[in-house]
Amino acid sequence: MAAPFTLRKIGVPPNSANLTEARRRVFDFFRAACRSIPTVMDIYNLQDVVAPSQLRFAISAQIRKNAHITDPKVIDLLLFKGMEELTDIVDHAKQRHHIIGQYVVGEGLVQNTGNKDEGKSDFLKNFYTSNYF
Amino acid sequence: MASLSTTSLSFKAPSIQSTRISQVLRKASSFQSISFGRFHSSKSLRLQISCAAKPETVQKVSDIVKEQLALSADTALTAESKFSALGADSLDTVEIVMALEEKFNISVEESDAQNITTIQEAADLIEDLVQKKPATSEAS
Repeated sequence: MAAPFTLRKIGVPPNSANLTEARRRVFDFFRAACRSIPTVMDIYNLQDVVAPSQLRFAISAQIRKNAHITDPKVIDLLLFKGMEELTDIVDHAKQRHHIIGQYVVGEGLVQNTGNKDEGKSDFLKNFYTSNYF
Repeated sequence: MASLSTTSLSFKAPSIQSTRISQVLRKASSFQSISFGRFHSSKSLRLQISCAAKPETVQKVSDIVKEQLALSADTALTAESKFSALGADSLDTVEIVMALEEKFNISVEESDAQNITTIQEAADLIEDLVQKKPATSEAS
């Protein structure tokens, strides 16, 4: 049996210098999250509800939702929030219905309508700038 | 037979000199040690043959890849097919490695994971790690 994985809490590291390092951090975060999945399933008793592969898919879907971002600092901040969420889950600071609603069921408790600005029309986007466009 | 002789000797113990008893006891203990030695030598050393990965490992890896990338069941997956050719981006590759970690109960380091691009390489790495693993668990 491989040694059980423990989530080590380190301080906030300095910002990534370039996109490559941000990319590496994303993969490290994803690996840490995937290795914590057995612990999470144990804590919240999700054995009958969901399979580990589904949880992996949920995590990668969340990462993919932000895959279009190119600014390393934005990526760092998103990773920070992701790490915070993961730490909360592993510390049992959340409850079972949170996990099921947010990561197991498709839509989730809160309506995930995608990014805020994508569906809006150009009219609304330019509305604040001027009347004539 | 040996046990019978020792019990008979123990009856006569008070009458026999101590040196003789010690000689017989030494013989009996040497008998025991011989039998133990035979027992240990029957376990032959396992030869580590480094060869290509077993076909069932490759098959298992292909199944996981198909499931991860949502390929249809009849797409032909050879051992040399690259993940990127099958439509996997880098996050998919990492996810495949994590799925393999879970399935085979191993732990892949980041440096090893960088080099995996084809199914054959993944199967070879898994074989490697699976062989290394029982050696450590035996020692503990």
